[in-house]
Amino acid sequence: MTDQPSPATASRQRPVYTARIERIFDHAADTRSLFLRIVEGGSIRFVPGQFISISIPLSGETRIRPYTLASSPEDGEPLEICFNQVPGGQGVRWLFGRKVGDTLSFTGPFGTFTMEHRPTVETVFIAEGTSIAPIRAMLRRVLADSAHPALSLLYAADAPEHLLYRDEIERWARRDSRLSFDPIVVAPADLHARMLEEVERRWVKADANRRRQFYVCGIGKGVVAIRNLLRGSGYERRAVHYEQW
Amino acid sequence: MAKIRVIFESGEPERVIEFDPAKAPFQHDGQPGSVLDVLLGHHIRLEHACGGNCACTTCHVIVKQGFNKLSEASEQEEDLLDRAPGLTPTSRLGCQAMIEDPNAEIAIFVPRYTINQVSEGGGE
Repeated sequence: MTDQPSPATASRQRPVYTARIERIFDHAADTRSLFLRIVEGGSIRFVPGQFISISIPLSGETRIRPYTLASSPEDGEPLEICFNQVPGGQGVRWLFGRKVGDTLSFTGPFGTFTMEHRPTVETVFIAEGTSIAPIRAMLRRVLADSAHPALSLLYAADAPEHLLYRDEIERWARRDSRLSFDPIVVAPADLHARMLEEVERRWVKADANRRRQFYVCGIGKGVVAIRNLLRGSGYERRAVHYEQW
Repeated sequence: MAKIRVIFESGEPERVIEFDPAKAPFQHDGQPGSVLDVLLGHHIRLEHACGGNCACTTCHVIVKQGFNKLSEASEQEEDLLDRAPGLTPTSRLGCQAMIEDPNAEIAIFVPRYTINQVSEGGGE
């Protein structure tokens, strides 16, 4: 149904890329990264935080599902996407069924949850589980700039193996004293409440500084609660960037 | 029956859809009964790069008639619209703007560049 545009609308379609799965990495039994090498359509340029829209054939039709690029523009190809199995997640189930050498089609990049300017004020990143993907790309970009301001990453997951890229981020934090990394593992039922509590403790109650900016990415309503807390505590609306998955 | 008239900046012929909002969803992307849901369910393409999950602005439409007949925009939708090029006071995201009134008459304008394909060094 949705993959049958009329001839009149076809001219408005985005360029479609075909990519081959070059490598698969399992972060955990239910969490995987695919590394994609474009074989048709040219190369793409993107900014950290953007996603690609993958065409996924399901039940005789094509559905579009977004997957954020976890790799940095500086890395070039292969592009990395990471995802985890979720109840009822048909798109993810299809992706888990792909093998090295398989191809898939996508359009993009898309998305406005991006870091377009070099940060000039203290910047706080908040993520949970696979939603670290855009944050990882942003962090790599920021850390490459030797003049970056103080950075904090609050990263929560429901199990240690769901703290993706932990070793890498810990290496960054050891090398760069202006990056503070706080991984936390919390039971799923308490995860959003704990994150909210941490945000309030660290960046609302700890001081009166309201010149920080935030990049928050997460799953479900927890993101909205953090957004509301920060905006309601005196931070500028546009200093609180967020993306809800 | 509710009615949506769809006007394309690209010059494509106008389309008019008559539908019963009570029968939503008409397909699987976007909020049930949203402009995106109705259009896709009636074989009219509207971009929705994020799958209709309120995470981009590719389904940006400008409401020409019946703005007040649509569901109220959430803060998240407003935040995204702030980033949409060609923003107007009656801009909405097609995936979020729902039509619940069975007698609503809506007209929407689909911009040529619904963007969000921001890329370094240029892009739309």
